[in-house]
Amino acid sequence: MTRNEPSTEIEYAPCKLACPILTDAREYIQLIAERRFEEALTAIMSQNPLPRTCGRICTHPCEQVCKRGQVDEPVAIAALKRFAADGPWKDRLRQVLPKASSGHKVAVVGSGPSGLAAAHDLALLGHTVTVLEKLPIAGGMMAVGIPSYRLPRDVLEADIRTIEDLGVEVKTGVTFGNDVTVESLTGDGYQAIFLGTGLHLSRRLNVEGEDLPGVLKGVDFLRDVALGKPVTLDASVIVVGGGNVAIDVARTALRVGARDVLMVCLEKQEEMPAAESEIEEAREEGVAVVNCFGPKRFLENSGRLSGIEFKSCTCVFDEKGAFCPQYDENELTAMDADTVIVAIGQAADLSFAEKDGLTVTRRGGLEADPITLQTPIAGVFAGGDVISGPATVTKAIAAGKRAAVSIDFYLRGESIPRSEPAIADQVASLPPGVIERTRQFARSKIAGLPVEQRLSSFSEVGPPFSEDLATKEALRCLHCYLGARVNKEKCISCLTCLRVCPLQVPTVSKVGEITIDPFVCQACGMCALECPVQAIEISLDPGGEIAREVEKAIASSQHLERLIVGFFDLHGNFAKKDLKGLREDYPNVLPVMTFGLRRIDRSDILKAFECGADAVFLAGCPPNRDPFPEAGDRIKRRTAHARTQLEAVGLDGRRLEIFDMPDEGLVEKGSITELIQRIKEMEPSPLRVRR
Amino acid sequence: MITLEQKQFAQIKEMASHYDRLLVLGCQTCSAMSFAGGEREVKELASMIRMERKISGKPGDILEDAIARQCDPELVDLIGDKVRGCDAVLSLACGAGVQMLAERFPDKMILPGCNTTFLGVTEELGVWSERCAGCGDCILDKTAGLCPIARCSKQLLNGPCGGSVNGKCEISKDVDCVWQLIIDRLARLNRLEMLEEIFPVKDWSPAGHGGPRKMIIEDLKS
Ligand SMILES: Cc1cc2nc3c(=O)[nH]c(=O)nc-3n(C[C@H](O)[C@H](O)[C@H](O)COP(=O)(O)OP(=O)(O)OC[C@H]3O[C@@H](n4cnc5c(N)ncnc54)[C@H](O)[C@@H]3O)c2cc1C
Ligand code: SF4
Ligand code: SF4
Ligand code: SF4
Ligand code: SF4
Repeated sequence: MTRNEPSTEIEYAPCKLACPILTDAREYIQLIAERRFEEALTAIMSQNPLPRTCGRICTHPCEQVCKRGQVDEPVAIAALKRFAADGPWKDRLRQVLPKASSGHKVAVVGSGPSGLAAAHDLALLGHTVTVLEKLPIAGGMMAVGIPSYRLPRDVLEADIRTIEDLGVEVKTGVTFGNDVTVESLTGDGYQAIFLGTGLHLSRRLNVEGEDLPGVLKGVDFLRDVALGKPVTLDASVIVVGGGNVAIDVARTALRVGARDVLMVCLEKQEEMPAAESEIEEAREEGVAVVNCFGPKRFLENSGRLSGIEFKSCTCVFDEKGAFCPQYDENELTAMDADTVIVAIGQAADLSFAEKDGLTVTRRGGLEADPITLQTPIAGVFAGGDVISGPATVTKAIAAGKRAAVSIDFYLRGESIPRSEPAIADQVASLPPGVIERTRQFARSKIAGLPVEQRLSSFSEVGPPFSEDLATKEALRCLHCYLGARVNKEKCISCLTCLRVCPLQVPTVSKVGEITIDPFVCQACGMCALECPVQAIEISLDPGGEIAREVEKAIASSQHLERLIVGFFDLHGNFAKKDLKGLREDYPNVLPVMTFGLRRIDRSDILKAFECGADAVFLAGCPPNRDPFPEAGDRIKRRTAHARTQLEAVGLDGRRLEIFDMPDEGLVEKGSITELIQRIKEMEPSPLRVRR
Repeated sequence: MITLEQKQFAQIKEMASHYDRLLVLGCQTCSAMSFAGGEREVKELASMIRMERKISGKPGDILEDAIARQCDPELVDLIGDKVRGCDAVLSLACGAGVQMLAERFPDKMILPGCNTTFLGVTEELGVWSERCAGCGDCILDKTAGLCPIARCSKQLLNGPCGGSVNGKCEISKDVDCVWQLIIDRLARLNRLEMLEEIFPVKDWSPAGHGGPRKMIIEDLKS
């Protein structure tokens, strides 16, 4: 196709651009909507080495920018990923096996997301990878930070096992700096090293009494619980801090016996760095939150902690928005506590750095090139939290993937490319008229575990989507940048596109030039179909695709006596098993699935008959699920026109039917059996070429 | 634009039946805009002819193509090879296009797949109406911009006639009396006095009554 609109901009869907690893959420969402779950997971796995983990704990920046969010609420992208990654099909998926061995050996220090991602990608590139982990279990903060009620251990383990299946060896209990060094690793034949050691020290408050027994450190506490060390709390616990880690600490405290948990932080409620949903869940479980206090000193009673004295915090940020807390030292408040857990931030343990000649930055991280992730020592790369400061799992994965690319170039003796990653600019706004004309569909919600059940265990709080809900949710995606492209060389400015578009996206200039904003367009397909010179291509289903599918379906069913082509709207309320059932119950029906019957042209229907179909039917989704119900009438008239065309060439018009899909399932049994009966009473299609 | 409509399939089938190898040729300008013979209709019609032939056991190949316009020789010449390789061309252009094809390909039978209907406007998607009769001497300045030649059933120049009832023409209650519209519009423009002017007898020779028309721009022609 000649596109007359060469675009130099990157036209990524907002969800993709917002993702640190540029996950093409749109792609797997669409596959879920098509009930092609296994392929959805394959698509996810091609980009994300920790799909099941990310499906649960990713902070999903994609949802913040999702175009659907401008209409009602964003597509539940994270939950969809989890659905795709968790289904029973995951066990059927065969791993892409690594290329033949390159002969190079790489050591990865740290089994957090950055290390695992680097190992995964390096293994796929054919390198031999060993992961060295200090702790007795692998996973980094995913294993010893994030509590298991948010990320069940078996889920993380399964993701790690998939990486091990690529031939990656994970050795736990090996401390870089003590057990191994750059020198020893080089001596053992490792040609490159990746350091993804994260941030595992808790930041200190540096106030009086901080070393009293009864004062715990946030990440140490979480790590101890995660490693199964005997940690039990009783009575009252104060957690100092207002971020997500503090929330995890507070909620974990409740699960290991604390009776009252109070979170105290500097920030006002609306300034708290923790995600609102996390604060909400913590509150539901009984965590109380007190704002605008900063610790002054820990209180002591016969050598043990008895409480903590706070000064009131008047302001946390300066005019530039930088962290710069101001206190009123005169206003002091004492609070009793049996245990205080300080969760105000993490720092890197870089005791290994000095020995190995690595440079530590002023901020307390390792020094490395921000793009290539090379450290000043040849062959040593570093990434993840230890470079970026506290970030997220996906950002760490992005760093690991980036490091893998750099290391691969390094090992091949080539210079490392310095291409900057795509950065999410501000997402464009939809015009108000388009928002108004876009049909709203509520975001699928599922209830979490009841609170009592949550607190008595570490079992996962968030339940998964059912297939039903997942497909419904996936169908909410508005197909950003998958829509209409005008071939300006062909366009004759007939204005049909402008007239049929249900959202009024196309515009025309004085000289007749048509512009269709690829972000605003929702790929409904109406304009492309009606354009009399076929100058519009819809990326979601490029021209002629439906006709080709029809041809293919018929060609592969030549053994059948009678052939009925059924066009089904993917927006219908049916499950994958209904499709299977259809094939079993009505083997003569060849289903062709589309995102809306408005995409079926008369020529597609004629094509089916030309290829020998005995009958064709169109099954449209129930009106309450149709994003463009206003097209329904036009589709009926178009079908009626096709019927007269059939009659004109000498075929019985009753061979073409249009049905509404039932509230549940693919097609009403009555209508389909009636059609089959009708066909049986007619001569077989005179157009069938019998081979 | 010139509007067109596709002929009934029965008629197309009949005229095409004498030729085995048939090129269905679309015209991507007025005909496409009339949804009579653009690329989309070419695809459909070709499919229908193929089916009809298969059903009735007639042999032959149906080729498909479309060009920007069939009323210009240079464009028509671009598909010369294809035309020469078939027995006949079913042109989905207006009569002008059909004749241009015939002129450029003297040895080929050219069949009209469409009827040229009128010079008109698009009222809305799928609805067109006649506005101009191509009379060669436009009088719209005198009739408030509404053409009685194209839109009055009797082509009256001094209407309305006695058949005008409640603003509708006597031939059908769906047809507006253009003279009523002219009067209404002149009233709105405060120029009703213009109606008092009696039209002289119209010279119809520029309308083609003086034989086939031809237009020459001296400084343009070679
Ligand atoms: C409590 C908590 C909750 C979080 N929740 C989320 C969340 O919900 N979503 C999200 O996206 N992010 C979350 N994060 C952040 C996320 O976990 C981190 O950004 C991410 O894990 C960083 O990955 P990394 O690979 O850089 O380091 P880490 O995951 O920290 O892994 C580093 C690994 O290196 C090992 N290591 C360190 N030094 C050595 C050494 N000398 N020798 C050998 N091994 C060594 C460590 O033991 C560790 O296993 C959370 C963080 C915390 C602390
Ligand atoms: S509407 Fe779909 S493609 Fe667009 S941002 Fe949301 S999930 Fe991504
Ligand atoms: S419908 Fe096609 S030909 Fe008509 S204006 Fe739009 S793009 Fe151009
Ligand atoms: S694909 Fe649909 S939404 Fe996009 S421009 Fe065409 S008609 Fe409008
Ligand atoms: S007066 Fe003649 S040229 Fe003018 S609009 Fe009427 S028919 Fe056309």
